[in-house]
Amino acid sequence: MKKVLVLALFVLLSSGAHAEYSQVNMTVFGMDCAPCAHAIHVSMMGIKGVDTVKVDLNTGLVNISLSPGNSAGLHQFEEAVEKNGFTHKDATVVVRGTLSGSADAPVLEVTGTSDHYALAPSGQPAADIAALMGKSVIVNGLLPQAAKGKLPNTLRYKTITEAQ
Amino acid sequence: MKIILALACAVALASPALAAGHGPVFGYATPVNSQGEFSFDTGLIGRHGSQGTALTESSQIGYGITPHITFTAVLPVTFGSAALPETRMAGGGEWASSVAWRFQHSVTSVGRRVESTASLGIVVPGPQEDSGVLAGLHRAPGVAATLASGLASRSQYLWFGSGYTRFAEAHSDRRPDTISWSAIYGYRPPRLRRDVNHWDYRGFAELTGEHTGNVRSNGVLLPHSATTSLWLGPSILAILKDVAIEGGIQAPLYRDASDSMYGHESIRFAINFSYLKYSSHAY
Repeated sequence: MKKVLVLALFVLLSSGAHAEYSQVNMTVFGMDCAPCAHAIHVSMMGIKGVDTVKVDLNTGLVNISLSPGNSAGLHQFEEAVEKNGFTHKDATVVVRGTLSGSADAPVLEVTGTSDHYALAPSGQPAADIAALMGKSVIVNGLLPQAAKGKLPNTLRYKTITEAQ
Repeated sequence: MKIILALACAVALASPALAAGHGPVFGYATPVNSQGEFSFDTGLIGRHGSQGTALTESSQIGYGITPHITFTAVLPVTFGSAALPETRMAGGGEWASSVAWRFQHSVTSVGRRVESTASLGIVVPGPQEDSGVLAGLHRAPGVAATLASGLASRSQYLWFGSGYTRFAEAHSDRRPDTISWSAIYGYRPPRLRRDVNHWDYRGFAELTGEHTGNVRSNGVLLPHSATTSLWLGPSILAILKDVAIEGGIQAPLYRDASDSMYGHESIRFAINFSYLKYSSHAY
C-alpha cells in the first residue's frame, strides 16, 4: 500500500513538474509612470515561481520568466495587473502541458494548474497534432484578451513541439 | 463625546486626493492606491502673508482597499500664527479621513487612462488653535467631498477637480464653508520617459481656487469675512520606484479678501515626501 501511495505521489509530482508556464509576455494598458511599473513588478514577483519580471513603460510590455516546476496560473498574472488598476491585453506564452481532446479539437491541459486551452494554429498548421496527442508538449503562442475575471478559451499557437 | 464619535467615524471612513505620491501637490487628481498598497506621505505646506507665515506639517496614510477604493487619513500639525483665511487646499490644522472611489476608469491605450475619482470624508478639528478671525471660534466637525476627473498618460496629464467642505455649528459659531477647485496640467518630456529603474520626473502647472464663506461667530455672520482667491504656480514630482519627492509654489492671480481681517496672502509653497509600499500578495 505504501508503494502505491509513493508511486501515486511520484506521478502527481512529476506531472506537475513537467507542466507550467515558462514565459508570459503580457501587454498592459494604463501604466503612465515608474511607480505603476514598480507596482506591477512587485505584484508579479509575489507570485510563487516567478523568476524575473521586466516592465517596459513605453510599450506596456511585461515580460515574466518563471522557474521550472512552478504551478502559477494565468489568472494570477491577470489579477496582479487588475489589482493595480490596469488592464491586461493579449499575452504571448511559452507553456508546457499535455495534449488531450482530439486531433481536430486539441486541448492543452496545463497540469499543475487548472488552466486549459483549446489549441488553434495562428497560421498554417505545421505540427502533426495527431502524433502529439496524449504527449507532453511545449507550446509557444498567443492568448487573446479575455473578459475581466475570465481566462482565454483559445491558445493560438505558433509552434508546438514534443517536450523532451 | 461628540468629538470621540466624530473621530471614530473619521477613522472608520476615510480625504481629498492631495499629493499622495502620484499627482499634483496642491490640486485635485484622480490616482488612487493599488489594492493592498500603503502610501505614507509627510509634507510641509506654507502660506505667507503680510500678517505672518502659517506652516502645516501634514502626515498622511493611505491604503488601497480595492484597485479603485482608497482609505486616507491625514494628521496635520500647524506652526505659525498668520491670520489667514480658511483653506482646504493649502494646509490647516484639521484632522481628516476619507474614502476615495475611482468610479470611472477607462484605459484607452498603453500608458493612457481617463478616469474620475470622488471622495467623501470627515474633517475634525485638531487640537491646535487657529489664528486671526478663526481663533476663539467653537469648532465642530465637518464633511468634505471632492471630485476629480482627467487624463493620465506617458506624456501629459490633465485633471480638473473641485471640493466642498461644510462644518457643523458649535455654540452658535461655525467655520466657513469652503468651495475649492483646481485645473492641473502636467508634462513629462520625451527624454524623461524612462524605465522603472530611473527617476521619473514630471512638471505640473497648478491652478487652484478657493471661496470661503462668511465666518459665523455668536450666531452672527461676520461682515467681509468671506474670501475668494485664485492661485497659479509650478510643481515638480520625482519618483523612483517606491519613493517620491514633490515641491511646488503658487502666487495669487486673483484675491478678494479683507486685508484688515486677513492681511495680504502673497505666496503658498509645499514640499511632500511619499513612500509607497506595494502589496506583493498573490492570489
